[in-house]
Amino acid sequence: MDVARTFGTIAIVSFGGGQKAAIRRAVVERRAWLDEDDFIEALALAELMPGANLVNLAVFIGHRVRGARGALVAMLAVCLPPFAIALGVAVAYFARIDVPLVGAALRGCAAGAVGLTIANAIELTVERRRDGLLGLALLAATAVAVGALKLALLPALAIFGGLGIWLATVRARRTESRADAA
Amino acid sequence: MKELQIVRVFAVLSVLGFGGGKGIFPQMHAQTVDSFHWVSAAQFTQFYALGKLLPGPTTIAAVPIGYAAAGAPGAAIAAAAMFVPAALLMLGASVLWRRFHDSPWRERIALGLAPVVVGLTWASVLAFGKGVGSGPASIAIVTVVTALALRTKLDTPVLVGLAALGGVAFLR
Repeated sequence: MDVARTFGTIAIVSFGGGQKAAIRRAVVERRAWLDEDDFIEALALAELMPGANLVNLAVFIGHRVRGARGALVAMLAVCLPPFAIALGVAVAYFARIDVPLVGAALRGCAAGAVGLTIANAIELTVERRRDGLLGLALLAATAVAVGALKLALLPALAIFGGLGIWLATVRARRTESRADAA
Repeated sequence: MKELQIVRVFAVLSVLGFGGGKGIFPQMHAQTVDSFHWVSAAQFTQFYALGKLLPGPTTIAAVPIGYAAAGAPGAAIAAAAMFVPAALLMLGASVLWRRFHDSPWRERIALGLAPVVVGLTWASVLAFGKGVGSGPASIAIVTVVTALALRTKLDTPVLVGLAALGGVAFLR
């Protein structure tokens, strides 16, 4: 099945984020399941909804091509290969075959992953300067409340996400009324 | 019932996984390390790193955590709870997509949540910085990878691979 093969392949070659180009090539250029504009819309929706972007995109495109069945197939195709690999790694990890080098490599990986996350956070923070001082205050408040004060995710999203959406709405209205006035 | 706890933990994270799932790691850490003790802080950070290194989304880190909690069935349950609820929401959104296509709310929600997701990314750093340890070599690896990620176009697996080499050289 085409949907399964396409997304299974993408899943295997996709590492932590670099997969959007691969998907675009597969579904827009090679299969013509979506046109360019639809793909950009689908990507925006996949990023808006909760869940991994790759899985969300697979669900959307699977649904578009073959309905709910297509969505299920695409989701399984995109999740099962990484699951199988991760399970294999987990089994090996907990088999406790004590190779000191592996332990050291994993500790190095952990430090590297934290470094990557810091870099990502810095880049994203710079990007969010466009939200102005209030947006940055919201960003900092979320980081402190969740990171230091251990606020749970649901109330954090409700409070800070709610404030953020309210802020975006107020700004959108203000821009509209300014456009009307002009 | 450990299996039910696994479902609860990861299904909640699944439906709250805005920003591609970036924002869920502080809570995943709080619950799987601090509340249920399925994994240690050091293991959690290593599994997060594996999530970045292995194919598929970073949230695949749920698999080794589920395995630590309840073996292979635990891993399967964790993966299903991590991916199915969000996929169902996305299916619903795909069905309704045409109707909300032009709604101004889509952009407002995206804009409004963006700074919150970045705040959660910083919270992740605070939450599992602990799992790295405070030795000078660990801190050096964190710093070098941060700088390389910001200054070069090296891919994630390459950077994690370099960090692994750093670990072999200095964290034995």
